[in-house]
Amino acid sequence: MKRSYALLLSLVLLLVLALAACSSDSKDEADGGGKEQEQATKEGSDIVVAVASTLTSMDPHDTNDTLSGSVQRTIFEGLLGFDEEMNVVPMLAKEYSANDEATEFTFILNEGIKFHDGTPFNAEAVKVNFDRLADPDSGLKRHSLYSLIANTEVVSEYEVKFTLSEPFGAMINTFAHPAGLIHSPKALEEFGKDVATNPVGTGQFKFVEWKPGEGLEVTKNEDYRIEDQPKVDGITFKPVTENGSRIAMLQTGEADFIYPVPTEQADSIDGENGIEVDSKPSIVVRYMTMNTLKEPYDDLKVRQALDLAVDKEAFIEVVTNGHASVLDSIIAPAVQYYSKQETTKPDIEKAKSLLKEAGLEDGFKAKIWGANNSSAMKAMQFLQQQFAQINVEVEVVPMEAGTLSDKIWSVQDPKDAEIEMYYGGWSPSTGDADWGIRPLLGGAENFPPKSYNVSYYDNPEVNGLIAEALETADSDKRAEAYEKAQSLLWDDLPWISLSAENTISGKKNYLTGIYLLPDGSLDVRNLEIKK
Amino acid sequence: MFRFLIKRLVEIIPILIVVSILIFLFVHMIPGDPARLVAGPDATIEDVELVSKELGLDKPLVEQYITYMGNLLKGDLGTSLKTNRPVAEEIGARFMPTFWLTLWSMVWATIAGLIIGVISATKRNKWPDYLGMFGAVSGLSLPAFWLGLMLIQLFAVTLGWFPTGGLESWKSYVLPAFTLGTGVAAVIARFTRSALMDVLKEDYVRTARSKGLKEKNVIWGHSLRNAMIPVVTMTGLQFGFLLGGSVVIETVFSWPGLGKLLIDSVAFRDYPVIQAEMLIFALEFIIINLIVDLLYGILNPQIRYE
Repeated sequence: MKRSYALLLSLVLLLVLALAACSSDSKDEADGGGKEQEQATKEGSDIVVAVASTLTSMDPHDTNDTLSGSVQRTIFEGLLGFDEEMNVVPMLAKEYSANDEATEFTFILNEGIKFHDGTPFNAEAVKVNFDRLADPDSGLKRHSLYSLIANTEVVSEYEVKFTLSEPFGAMINTFAHPAGLIHSPKALEEFGKDVATNPVGTGQFKFVEWKPGEGLEVTKNEDYRIEDQPKVDGITFKPVTENGSRIAMLQTGEADFIYPVPTEQADSIDGENGIEVDSKPSIVVRYMTMNTLKEPYDDLKVRQALDLAVDKEAFIEVVTNGHASVLDSIIAPAVQYYSKQETTKPDIEKAKSLLKEAGLEDGFKAKIWGANNSSAMKAMQFLQQQFAQINVEVEVVPMEAGTLSDKIWSVQDPKDAEIEMYYGGWSPSTGDADWGIRPLLGGAENFPPKSYNVSYYDNPEVNGLIAEALETADSDKRAEAYEKAQSLLWDDLPWISLSAENTISGKKNYLTGIYLLPDGSLDVRNLEIKK
Repeated sequence: MFRFLIKRLVEIIPILIVVSILIFLFVHMIPGDPARLVAGPDATIEDVELVSKELGLDKPLVEQYITYMGNLLKGDLGTSLKTNRPVAEEIGARFMPTFWLTLWSMVWATIAGLIIGVISATKRNKWPDYLGMFGAVSGLSLPAFWLGLMLIQLFAVTLGWFPTGGLESWKSYVLPAFTLGTGVAAVIARFTRSALMDVLKEDYVRTARSKGLKEKNVIWGHSLRNAMIPVVTMTGLQFGFLLGGSVVIETVFSWPGLGKLLIDSVAFRDYPVIQAEMLIFALEFIIINLIVDLLYGILNPQIRYE
């Protein structure tokens, strides 16, 4: 009898827990999960943004994570920037020009702008910043982007001219890169390396406080150069690593904006609790490389067979819950000089016959490397299953980030490279085709350990086109060269192009003017709270 | 006892030196080049080399070790590779949140664990015992990660009683401390139950009872004190584990503590931070062990220190 009491109590307990777990699902059904919903309301004008990892630095010149870059853009501005479609737009500079050889770049600056500490913004301030970036002894993480700058000349108070040591057609995009944000020269002098924790820029918001692990706070810059901006009083960025916790914060209103939203939960929270989910194309591409120096991947037929075996539409459904699009070039559509290629439909029979022609009718065994996070694992397992259809037996080898980078980049001689297939991704942070193609497929110059050409792909014709595009600042000529390069690479298949990912963010529906750029960085310049 | 304390404190120094050597070697044996990880995903070889030089990682291991030990003896824990801030500052900001979270978890877990354990032992094979032990088994088997997310869903999202995470006020402590303490409470309950049941079989308990002592006095006054020795040992160990191991809970609740810092640092191969954190965890274990040893003597005066 007493045992049955205990049993009953246990059942009740289990039921309570199960109900708690299901509570959010049952609400979905009741409301239909539709987009039409009540307007959420907001008290006050300070917003909280929950992000997925901790911030590393507030020195744009010494930062390489997009997240810290996003926060920096609230405090700093660059000569140029990107708009919502990743087009280059003027910021602190109002005009720019380049010579035909792409070796000289001149900027006319906006006048009357002041840094948060009162220092005037002028050509001298620009020079101080780019001299710092171009100096190899500064030990800055972003030095390489600007190492080509041989000289920065102050032409007049509001005109500055850069001379490069060699032609570099992609330089305008490099100036728009978040690494080119401009510090107050006074702050650079006063704080030295500690400028990373004492950022002073010309941006919409001023730095207030950064508590490691807890978050970073910025407040409205009352003297911002554009009248009536910014429209919120302040922003707090909080690192919240766990996806579920980030979503809970948005549900309770502890956070007003969160990113990224995991693809698995994006649809279930959209339209609930005053939440809107925004899923937009990014410049992040996902692909599977093949080591073209190794057998059997050195045979184009084998690469074609593998490509034909993969159903890319299914890949997107399985791995990203539909939050991506099929990649139809080796760079994403939002990258400058992208050129659409013709995609093929999966064809198992044709793939098998190609393998037969390559003398591999019984298939072969292979290893695929990749990261050990759940989405990379899912992707690799999907590929494993697809290749099994043409008798290619793939072993999935997930690796922790450090181990993976060791395995890939400790190789000194390409012949020693163990890598066969590799599942990876790339986001060309300058938004220019150059950074989307050259480091990954730009010939022997970019083999590991120098860069990321893990397909060990070296095609003189492609290399020539890449060089051609870099030797001019003429957009038409650059576009033509990149078009040819993309077409050649598409047919030669050094990798299997899979998807162009979406960026997914969630916000309360009272916010407008806050969005993620295709490179995954956050733009809050037009942020407003609808009352 | 005072001499014992001094002796034990002096012993800590060589232990820490050995531990620091081991930690240094282990940390440098983790595969992955920190310079590459620090330089970021799209860095060129040029960037990686610059960063490596900047961080002193291009020097031979022995030289790096000598620098590390030299700085350590001066009380300098180094600079974080990831954030460029002094390690002492990084850890300092996160030590107290973890310490208080652990302490509150231990406080409620110990009280709840003891009560459940005592009730279960005295009502053996009756429904309170079944209920208590069902709770204890559940507490041990529910993954803390899942429990944390469930509590957030129920008490933060649905009911809105507590914040979902972060550290703002006393309310922030409730959910994470409850989650973190659940497993510990379960272990303490089970230990207390079995230890107390053993003691209750002893002759002196029978004597006490036959003298007509009230059952309450027999349990709380006579038996429990003797049953506490194994419970204290285990509680001390749990406390040590929690201080260093609340990684999962800190992640779920975005707690600005040491556990989360360790996760970030390992992913980044932030050697100086990993080394310093591990040293601190080792030191914590040693100190807790010492406290446990001292508590033995208080619980049972027959135990002598040598």
